[in-house]
Amino acid sequence: MDFKDYYSALGVARDASDDDIRKAYRKLARKYHPDVSKEADAETKMRDINEAKDVLGDKEKRAAYDQLADRVARGGSPDGGFNPPPGWDEGFEFHRGPRGQAGPADHADFSEFFSSIFGNRGGMGTGMGAGTGGKARGAFREKGEDHHAAIEISLEDALHGAERQISLRAQVVDDQGRPRFEDRTLDVKIPAGIRPGQHIRLGGQGLPGYGGEPAGDLYLEVRIAPHKLYRIEGHDLYMTLPVTPTEAALGAKVTVPTPAGGRVDVTVPKGARSGMKLRLKEQGLPGKTPGHLYLLIEIALPPADTDAARAAYEQLAKAAPFDPRKNLGA
Amino acid sequence: MTMSRAQATATVVDAAPLTLRELARAVGAEDQWVLRLVEVELLHVDAPDQPPERWHFRSADLQRALAARRLERDFGANLDTAALIIDLQTELRRMRALLGAHGIG
Repeated sequence: MDFKDYYSALGVARDASDDDIRKAYRKLARKYHPDVSKEADAETKMRDINEAKDVLGDKEKRAAYDQLADRVARGGSPDGGFNPPPGWDEGFEFHRGPRGQAGPADHADFSEFFSSIFGNRGGMGTGMGAGTGGKARGAFREKGEDHHAAIEISLEDALHGAERQISLRAQVVDDQGRPRFEDRTLDVKIPAGIRPGQHIRLGGQGLPGYGGEPAGDLYLEVRIAPHKLYRIEGHDLYMTLPVTPTEAALGAKVTVPTPAGGRVDVTVPKGARSGMKLRLKEQGLPGKTPGHLYLLIEIALPPADTDAARAAYEQLAKAAPFDPRKNLGA
Repeated sequence: MTMSRAQATATVVDAAPLTLRELARAVGAEDQWVLRLVEVELLHVDAPDQPPERWHFRSADLQRALAARRLERDFGANLDTAALIIDLQTELRRMRALLGAHGIG
Protein backbone atom coordinates (compact mmCIF):
# COMPACT_ATOMS: atom_id res chain seq x y z
CA MET A 1 0.00 0.00 0.00
CA ASP A 2 1.37 3.41 -0.93
CA PHE A 3 1.19 6.49 1.22
CA LYS A 4 -1.33 8.91 -0.28
CA ASP A 5 -0.46 12.56 -0.60
CA TYR A 6 -3.81 14.26 -0.08
CA TYR A 7 -2.32 17.72 -0.54
CA SER A 8 -1.16 16.95 -4.07
CA ALA A 9 -4.48 15.24 -4.82
CA LEU A 10 -6.13 18.62 -4.24
CA GLY A 11 -3.20 20.59 -5.63
CA VAL A 12 -2.76 22.64 -2.45
CA ALA A 13 0.20 23.43 -0.22
CA ARG A 14 0.67 21.85 3.17
CA ASP A 15 -0.21 25.15 4.84
CA ALA A 16 -3.35 25.68 2.77
CA SER A 17 -6.20 27.30 4.65
CA ASP A 18 -9.59 25.65 5.04
CA ASP A 19 -10.88 28.05 2.43
CA ASP A 20 -8.09 27.10 -0.03
CA ILE A 21 -8.94 23.44 0.46
CA ARG A 22 -12.64 24.06 -0.06
CA LYS A 23 -12.01 26.07 -3.22
CA ALA A 24 -9.56 23.51 -4.62
CA TYR A 25 -12.00 20.70 -3.95
CA ARG A 26 -14.91 22.48 -5.62
CA LYS A 27 -12.84 23.31 -8.69
CA LEU A 28 -11.66 19.73 -9.10
CA ALA A 29 -15.07 18.27 -8.31
CA ARG A 30 -16.53 20.30 -11.18
CA LYS A 31 -13.74 19.11 -13.47
CA TYR A 32 -14.09 15.43 -12.62
CA HIS A 33 -17.77 15.10 -11.84
CA PRO A 34 -18.88 11.98 -13.74
CA ASP A 35 -21.85 13.79 -15.27
CA VAL A 36 -19.75 16.44 -16.96
CA SER A 37 -16.17 15.19 -17.21
CA LYS A 38 -14.70 13.92 -20.46
CA GLU A 39 -11.59 12.65 -18.67
CA ALA A 40 -11.05 8.91 -18.97
CA ASP A 41 -10.15 8.48 -15.31
CA ALA A 42 -12.78 10.88 -13.96
CA GLU A 43 -14.28 8.36 -11.58
CA THR A 44 -10.95 7.50 -9.97
CA LYS A 45 -9.98 11.16 -9.73
CA MET A 46 -13.31 12.01 -8.16
CA ARG A 47 -12.81 9.31 -5.58
CA ASP A 48 -9.32 10.57 -4.80
CA ILE A 49 -10.36 14.17 -4.36
CA ASN A 50 -13.38 13.17 -2.26
CA GLU A 51 -11.07 11.18 -0.03
CA ALA A 52 -8.54 14.01 0.19
CA LYS A 53 -11.25 16.53 1.03
CA ASP A 54 -12.70 14.24 3.68
CA VAL A 55 -9.36 14.17 5.48
CA LEU A 56 -8.05 17.69 4.89
CA GLY A 57 -11.45 19.27 5.41
CA ASP A 58 -11.70 17.86 8.93
CA LYS A 59 -9.42 19.54 11.47
CA GLU A 60 -8.88 16.41 13.58
CA LYS A 61 -8.24 14.11 10.66
CA ARG A 62 -5.96 16.64 9.00
CA ALA A 63 -3.87 17.06 12.14
CA ALA A 64 -3.55 13.30 12.53
CA TYR A 65 -2.70 12.90 8.85
CA ASP A 66 -0.07 15.66 9.02
CA GLN A 67 1.60 13.98 11.97
CA LEU A 68 1.59 10.67 10.13
CA ALA A 69 3.03 12.31 7.01
CA ASP A 70 5.85 13.80 9.09
CA ARG A 71 6.67 10.40 10.55
CA VAL A 72 6.68 8.85 7.10
CA ALA A 73 8.92 11.64 5.80
CA ARG A 74 11.38 11.01 8.61
CA GLY A 75 11.74 7.35 7.77
CA GLY A 76 9.47 5.40 5.46
CA SER A 77 9.47 1.67 4.98
CA PRO A 78 12.55 0.35 3.19
CA ASP A 79 10.45 -1.26 0.44
CA GLY A 80 8.61 1.95 -0.20
CA GLY A 81 5.36 0.45 1.03
CA PHE A 82 3.33 2.03 3.76
CA ASN A 83 1.83 0.72 6.97
CA PRO A 84 0.64 3.04 9.68
CA PRO A 85 3.07 2.75 12.61
CA PRO A 86 1.59 1.50 15.89
CA GLY A 87 0.21 4.26 18.08
CA TRP A 88 0.49 6.86 15.30
CA ASP A 89 -2.93 8.26 16.16
CA GLU A 90 -2.38 8.79 19.89
CA GLY A 91 -3.90 12.02 21.04
CA PHE A 92 -6.33 12.29 18.17
CA GLU A 93 -10.00 11.50 18.27
CA PHE A 94 -11.33 11.67 14.76
CA HIS A 95 -14.74 10.45 13.99
CA ARG A 96 -17.67 11.34 11.89
CA GLY A 97 -19.37 14.56 12.70
CA PRO A 98 -22.70 14.48 14.42
CA ARG A 99 -25.71 13.74 12.31
CA GLY A 100 -26.42 16.72 10.14
CA GLN A 101 -22.82 17.35 9.15
CA ALA A 102 -21.72 14.28 7.28
CA GLY A 103 -23.53 11.90 5.02
CA PRO A 104 -23.35 8.18 5.59
CA ALA A 105 -22.27 7.40 2.05
CA ASP A 106 -19.04 9.32 2.35
CA HIS A 107 -16.57 6.51 2.62
CA ALA A 108 -18.09 3.86 0.43
CA ASP A 109 -15.38 3.95 -2.21
CA PHE A 110 -12.40 5.17 -0.32
CA SER A 111 -8.99 3.57 -0.62
CA GLU A 112 -7.29 0.95 1.48
CA PHE A 113 -4.90 3.66 2.65
CA PHE A 114 -7.81 5.69 4.00
CA SER A 115 -9.29 2.63 5.67
CA SER A 116 -6.04 1.68 7.31
CA ILE A 117 -5.69 5.01 9.03
CA PHE A 118 -9.23 6.20 9.56
CA GLY A 119 -10.94 2.89 10.04
CA ASN A 120 -13.45 3.03 7.21
CA ARG A 121 -13.10 0.32 4.69
CA GLY A 122 -14.55 -0.22 1.27
CA GLY A 123 -15.80 -3.64 0.35
CA MET A 124 -14.46 -5.75 -2.47
CA GLY A 125 -15.13 -8.75 -4.62
CA THR A 126 -18.14 -7.49 -6.49
CA GLY A 127 -17.07 -4.00 -7.38
CA MET A 128 -19.04 -2.60 -4.52
CA GLY A 129 -18.02 -0.76 -1.42
CA ALA A 130 -19.23 -0.56 2.11
CA GLY A 131 -17.67 0.63 5.28
CA THR A 132 -17.82 1.12 8.97
CA GLY A 133 -17.95 4.10 11.20
CA GLY A 134 -14.88 5.84 12.46
CA LYS A 135 -13.24 5.31 15.79
CA ALA A 136 -16.02 6.81 17.82
CA ARG A 137 -15.68 5.53 21.34
CA GLY A 138 -17.56 6.02 24.53
CA ALA A 139 -20.53 4.82 26.48
CA PHE A 140 -23.37 6.40 24.55
CA ARG A 141 -26.07 4.30 23.00
CA GLU A 142 -27.06 4.75 19.41
CA LYS A 143 -28.24 2.63 16.55
CA GLY A 144 -25.50 2.13 13.95
CA GLU A 145 -25.46 4.38 10.93
CA ASP A 146 -26.95 3.26 7.66
CA HIS A 147 -24.45 2.75 4.91
CA HIS A 148 -24.52 2.85 1.13
CA ALA A 149 -22.83 0.97 -1.68
CA ALA A 150 -23.53 0.01 -5.26
CA ILE A 151 -23.86 -3.39 -6.85
CA GLU A 152 -23.63 -4.12 -10.56
CA ILE A 153 -25.64 -7.03 -11.92
CA SER A 154 -26.38 -8.36 -15.38
CA LEU A 155 -29.65 -7.67 -17.17
CA GLU A 156 -30.45 -11.37 -16.94
CA ASP A 157 -30.01 -11.26 -13.15
CA ALA A 158 -32.25 -8.22 -13.00
CA LEU A 159 -34.95 -9.97 -15.01
CA HIS A 160 -34.82 -13.38 -13.38
CA GLY A 161 -33.40 -12.64 -9.93
CA ALA A 162 -30.13 -14.02 -8.60
CA GLU A 163 -28.14 -14.88 -5.53
CA ARG A 164 -25.00 -12.85 -5.14
CA GLN A 165 -22.22 -12.97 -2.59
CA ILE A 166 -20.77 -9.71 -1.45
CA SER A 167 -17.72 -9.30 0.71
CA LEU A 168 -17.42 -6.57 3.26
CA ARG A 169 -14.65 -5.58 5.61
CA ALA A 170 -15.56 -3.64 8.68
CA GLN A 171 -13.60 -2.32 11.60
CA VAL A 172 -15.36 -3.19 14.83
CA VAL A 173 -14.47 -2.49 18.42
CA ASP A 174 -14.31 -5.49 20.75
CA ASP A 175 -15.43 -5.67 24.38
CA GLN A 176 -12.09 -4.32 25.54
CA GLY A 177 -12.40 -1.33 23.22
CA ARG A 178 -9.75 -2.61 20.81
CA PRO A 179 -10.41 -2.11 17.12
CA ARG A 180 -10.14 -5.09 14.82
CA PHE A 181 -11.10 -5.89 11.24
CA GLU A 182 -13.91 -8.28 10.55
CA ASP A 183 -14.48 -9.71 7.10
CA ARG A 184 -18.01 -10.71 6.26
CA THR A 185 -19.52 -12.48 3.32
CA LEU A 186 -23.16 -11.79 2.71
CA ASP A 187 -25.43 -13.93 0.58
CA VAL A 188 -27.85 -11.52 -0.98
CA LYS A 189 -30.92 -12.52 -2.92
CA ILE A 190 -31.53 -10.08 -5.76
CA PRO A 191 -35.27 -10.08 -6.46
CA ALA A 192 -36.49 -10.62 -10.01
CA GLY A 193 -37.66 -7.48 -11.77
CA ILE A 194 -35.21 -5.11 -10.10
CA ARG A 195 -34.48 -2.01 -12.13
CA PRO A 196 -31.39 0.21 -12.34
CA GLY A 197 -31.40 2.95 -9.76
CA GLN A 198 -33.52 1.00 -7.32
CA HIS A 199 -32.12 0.42 -3.86
CA ILE A 200 -31.98 -2.84 -1.99
CA ARG A 201 -32.11 -2.53 1.77
CA LEU A 202 -30.28 -5.08 3.90
CA GLY A 203 -31.53 -4.73 7.44
CA GLY A 204 -28.88 -4.76 10.16
CA GLN A 205 -25.93 -4.86 7.73
CA GLY A 206 -24.85 -1.25 8.15
CA LEU A 207 -22.52 0.14 10.76
CA PRO A 208 -22.47 -1.49 14.19
CA GLY A 209 -24.55 0.15 16.91
CA TYR A 210 -23.12 1.53 20.11
CA GLY A 211 -23.95 0.53 23.65
CA GLY A 212 -25.89 -2.56 22.61
CA GLU A 213 -28.05 -0.79 20.04
CA PRO A 214 -28.68 -2.57 16.73
CA ALA A 215 -26.62 -2.09 13.60
CA GLY A 216 -27.78 0.23 10.87
CA ASP A 217 -28.91 -0.91 7.45
CA LEU A 218 -26.94 -1.31 4.25
CA TYR A 219 -28.42 0.15 1.08
CA LEU A 220 -27.24 -1.18 -2.26
CA GLU A 221 -27.90 0.89 -5.34
CA VAL A 222 -28.51 -1.41 -8.27
CA ARG A 223 -26.61 -0.80 -11.48
CA ILE A 224 -27.03 -2.94 -14.55
CA ALA A 225 -24.02 -3.80 -16.66
CA PRO A 226 -24.16 -2.97 -20.38
CA HIS A 227 -25.76 -5.78 -22.38
CA LYS A 228 -24.65 -6.92 -25.83
CA LEU A 229 -28.20 -6.74 -27.26
CA TYR A 230 -30.42 -4.61 -25.06
CA ARG A 231 -30.10 -1.02 -23.88
CA ILE A 232 -32.11 0.31 -20.97
CA GLU A 233 -34.13 3.51 -20.90
CA GLY A 234 -36.33 3.79 -17.84
CA HIS A 235 -38.50 0.67 -17.83
CA ASP A 236 -38.06 0.13 -21.55
CA LEU A 237 -35.47 -1.88 -23.42
CA TYR A 238 -34.15 -1.06 -26.86
CA MET A 239 -32.60 -3.45 -29.36
CA THR A 240 -31.25 -2.78 -32.83
CA LEU A 241 -32.98 -4.99 -35.39
CA PRO A 242 -30.94 -5.35 -38.59
CA VAL A 243 -33.02 -6.09 -41.70
CA THR A 244 -32.09 -6.47 -45.36
CA PRO A 245 -33.20 -3.86 -47.92
CA THR A 246 -35.54 -6.50 -49.36
CA GLU A 247 -37.15 -7.12 -45.97
CA ALA A 248 -37.47 -3.39 -45.39
CA ALA A 249 -38.95 -2.71 -48.82
CA LEU A 250 -41.32 -5.66 -49.10
CA GLY A 251 -42.03 -6.37 -45.46
CA ALA A 252 -41.10 -9.61 -43.70
CA LYS A 253 -41.55 -11.76 -40.69
CA VAL A 254 -38.36 -12.07 -38.64
CA THR A 255 -37.57 -13.88 -35.41
CA VAL A 256 -36.03 -11.95 -32.54
CA PRO A 257 -34.89 -12.97 -29.07
CA THR A 258 -36.75 -11.55 -26.08
CA PRO A 259 -35.06 -10.46 -22.84
CA ALA A 260 -36.99 -13.15 -20.95
CA GLY A 261 -35.10 -15.77 -22.95
CA GLY A 262 -37.75 -16.64 -25.53
CA ARG A 263 -38.17 -15.89 -29.21
CA VAL A 264 -40.90 -14.04 -30.95
CA ASP A 265 -41.90 -13.50 -34.59
CA VAL A 266 -42.10 -9.86 -35.54
CA THR A 267 -43.63 -8.35 -38.67
CA VAL A 268 -41.42 -5.79 -40.34
CA PRO A 269 -43.85 -3.52 -42.18
CA LYS A 270 -43.57 -2.90 -45.90
CA GLY A 271 -41.50 0.22 -46.59
CA ALA A 272 -39.72 0.15 -43.20
CA ARG A 273 -37.05 2.80 -42.77
CA SER A 274 -33.87 2.90 -40.68
CA GLY A 275 -34.61 4.29 -37.24
CA MET A 276 -38.24 3.12 -37.31
CA LYS A 277 -39.32 1.71 -33.94
CA LEU A 278 -41.36 -1.45 -33.49
CA ARG A 279 -42.84 -1.98 -30.05
CA LEU A 280 -43.21 -5.32 -28.32
CA LYS A 281 -45.66 -4.52 -25.59
CA GLU A 282 -44.64 -5.30 -22.02
CA GLN A 283 -41.50 -7.16 -23.06
CA GLY A 284 -39.26 -4.66 -21.28
CA LEU A 285 -38.37 -4.57 -17.60
CA PRO A 286 -41.06 -6.13 -15.42
CA GLY A 287 -42.84 -4.17 -12.71
CA LYS A 288 -46.19 -2.76 -11.72
CA THR A 289 -46.07 -0.91 -15.04
CA PRO A 290 -44.00 -3.23 -17.24
CA GLY A 291 -41.76 -1.60 -19.80
CA HIS A 292 -41.80 -2.31 -23.52
CA LEU A 293 -39.17 -3.70 -25.82
CA TYR A 294 -38.46 -1.40 -28.76
CA LEU A 295 -36.81 -2.73 -31.89
CA LEU A 296 -34.91 -0.07 -33.80
CA ILE A 297 -34.78 -0.99 -37.44
CA GLU A 298 -31.40 -0.71 -39.09
CA ILE A 299 -31.13 -1.53 -42.79
CA ALA A 300 -28.04 -3.64 -43.45
CA LEU A 301 -26.74 -3.77 -47.02
CA PRO A 302 -25.74 -7.08 -48.53
CA PRO A 303 -22.08 -6.80 -49.59
CA ALA A 304 -21.48 -6.28 -53.30
CA ASP A 305 -18.53 -8.63 -53.31
CA THR A 306 -19.42 -11.02 -56.15
CA ASP A 307 -20.25 -10.48 -59.79
CA ALA A 308 -23.77 -11.75 -59.19
CA ALA A 309 -24.33 -9.37 -56.28
CA ARG A 310 -22.99 -6.40 -58.25
CA ALA A 311 -25.22 -7.32 -61.20
CA ALA A 312 -28.22 -7.55 -58.90
CA TYR A 313 -27.53 -4.04 -57.53
CA GLU A 314 -27.21 -2.67 -61.06
CA GLN A 315 -30.43 -4.37 -62.07
CA LEU A 316 -32.19 -2.89 -59.05
CA ALA A 317 -30.97 0.59 -59.98
CA LYS A 318 -32.45 0.15 -63.46
CA ALA A 319 -35.69 -1.43 -62.30
CA ALA A 320 -36.35 1.07 -59.51
CA PRO A 321 -34.75 4.43 -60.39
CA PHE A 322 -34.39 6.30 -57.12
CA ASP A 323 -32.68 9.55 -56.14
CA PRO A 324 -32.29 9.74 -52.34
CA ARG A 325 -30.77 13.25 -52.72
CA LYS A 326 -33.53 14.85 -54.70
CA ASN A 327 -34.44 17.21 -51.84
CA LEU A 328 -30.93 18.56 -51.46
CA GLY A 329 -31.36 20.97 -54.36
CA ALA A 330 -27.96 20.12 -55.80
CA MET B 1 -8.98 -10.58 11.67
CA THR B 2 -12.14 -12.67 11.74
CA MET B 3 -14.34 -13.94 8.95
CA SER B 4 -18.04 -14.52 9.09
CA ARG B 5 -20.71 -15.45 6.62
CA ALA B 6 -24.33 -14.45 6.82
CA GLN B 7 -27.49 -14.30 4.82
CA ALA B 8 -29.12 -10.95 4.43
CA THR B 9 -32.75 -10.32 3.78
CA ALA B 10 -33.00 -7.99 0.83
CA THR B 11 -35.94 -5.64 0.50
CA VAL B 12 -36.38 -3.41 -2.51
CA VAL B 13 -37.02 0.07 -1.19
CA ASP B 14 -39.76 0.63 -3.77
CA ALA B 15 -41.62 -2.45 -2.54
CA ALA B 16 -41.31 -1.39 1.10
CA PRO B 17 -40.94 2.40 0.97
CA LEU B 18 -39.11 4.31 3.68
CA THR B 19 -40.76 6.46 6.29
CA LEU B 20 -39.57 10.02 6.75
CA ARG B 21 -37.54 8.93 9.77
CA GLU B 22 -35.96 6.04 7.86
CA LEU B 23 -35.05 8.29 4.94
CA ALA B 24 -33.51 10.81 7.32
CA ARG B 25 -31.46 8.05 8.95
CA ALA B 26 -30.38 6.67 5.59
CA VAL B 27 -28.88 10.00 4.55
CA GLY B 28 -27.53 10.86 8.00
CA ALA B 29 -29.86 13.80 8.52
CA GLU B 30 -32.56 15.01 10.86
CA ASP B 31 -36.26 14.64 10.04
CA GLN B 32 -36.47 18.40 9.69
CA TRP B 33 -33.98 18.34 6.84
CA VAL B 34 -36.13 15.89 4.89
CA LEU B 35 -39.15 18.12 5.48
CA ARG B 36 -37.17 20.95 3.86
CA LEU B 37 -36.55 18.74 0.81
CA VAL B 38 -40.30 18.30 0.45
CA GLU B 39 -40.82 22.02 0.94
CA VAL B 40 -38.45 22.93 -1.91
CA GLU B 41 -40.08 20.17 -4.00
CA LEU B 42 -36.89 18.20 -4.27
CA LEU B 43 -38.95 15.29 -3.02
CA HIS B 44 -42.56 14.77 -3.95
CA VAL B 45 -44.83 12.98 -1.55
CA ASP B 46 -47.83 11.06 -2.78
CA ALA B 47 -50.11 12.25 -0.01
CA PRO B 48 -49.03 15.76 1.05
CA ASP B 49 -52.24 16.24 3.04
CA GLN B 50 -51.34 13.36 5.32
CA PRO B 51 -49.10 14.00 8.35
CA PRO B 52 -45.37 13.52 7.55
CA GLU B 53 -45.25 10.34 9.64
CA ARG B 54 -47.42 8.71 6.98
CA TRP B 55 -45.39 9.78 3.98
CA HIS B 56 -43.47 7.21 1.97
CA PHE B 57 -40.24 7.52 0.04
CA ARG B 58 -38.86 5.32 -2.70
CA SER B 59 -35.48 4.64 -4.35
CA ALA B 60 -35.58 7.77 -6.48
CA ASP B 61 -36.25 9.86 -3.36
CA LEU B 62 -33.34 8.25 -1.55
CA GLN B 63 -31.09 8.96 -4.53
CA ARG B 64 -32.16 12.60 -4.68
CA ALA B 65 -31.80 13.08 -0.94
CA LEU B 66 -28.26 11.64 -1.03
CA ALA B 67 -27.37 13.92 -3.93
CA ALA B 68 -28.76 16.96 -2.09
CA ARG B 69 -26.75 16.04 0.98
CA ARG B 70 -23.53 15.96 -1.01
CA LEU B 71 -24.24 19.22 -2.83
CA GLU B 72 -25.05 20.94 0.41
CA ARG B 73 -21.99 19.62 2.19
CA ASP B 74 -19.39 19.74 -0.59
CA PHE B 75 -20.46 22.90 -2.38
CA GLY B 76 -22.34 24.78 0.28
CA ALA B 77 -25.38 24.72 -2.02
CA ASN B 78 -28.64 25.78 -0.45
CA LEU B 79 -31.52 23.41 -0.99
CA ASP B 80 -33.23 25.49 -3.68
CA THR B 81 -30.01 25.47 -5.69
CA ALA B 82 -29.51 21.78 -4.99
CA ALA B 83 -33.04 21.08 -6.23
CA LEU B 84 -32.32 22.88 -9.50
CA ILE B 85 -29.00 21.06 -9.98
CA ILE B 86 -30.57 17.70 -9.25
CA ASP B 87 -33.45 18.36 -11.66
CA LEU B 88 -30.95 19.27 -14.39
CA GLN B 89 -28.80 16.26 -13.54
CA THR B 90 -31.82 13.97 -13.72
CA GLU B 91 -32.78 15.38 -17.09
CA LEU B 92 -29.20 15.07 -18.36
CA ARG B 93 -29.06 11.43 -17.34
CA ARG B 94 -32.46 10.74 -18.87
CA MET B 95 -31.41 12.31 -22.17
CA ARG B 96 -28.12 10.40 -22.17
CA ALA B 97 -29.92 7.14 -21.47
CA LEU B 98 -32.34 7.88 -24.31
CA LEU B 99 -29.48 8.63 -26.71
CA GLY B 100 -27.74 5.47 -25.55
CA ALA B 101 -30.90 3.44 -26.08
CA HIS B 102 -31.00 4.71 -29.67
CA GLY B 103 -27.38 3.76 -30.13
CA ILE B 104 -26.16 7.37 -30.14
CA GLY B 105 -23.48 8.62 -27.81
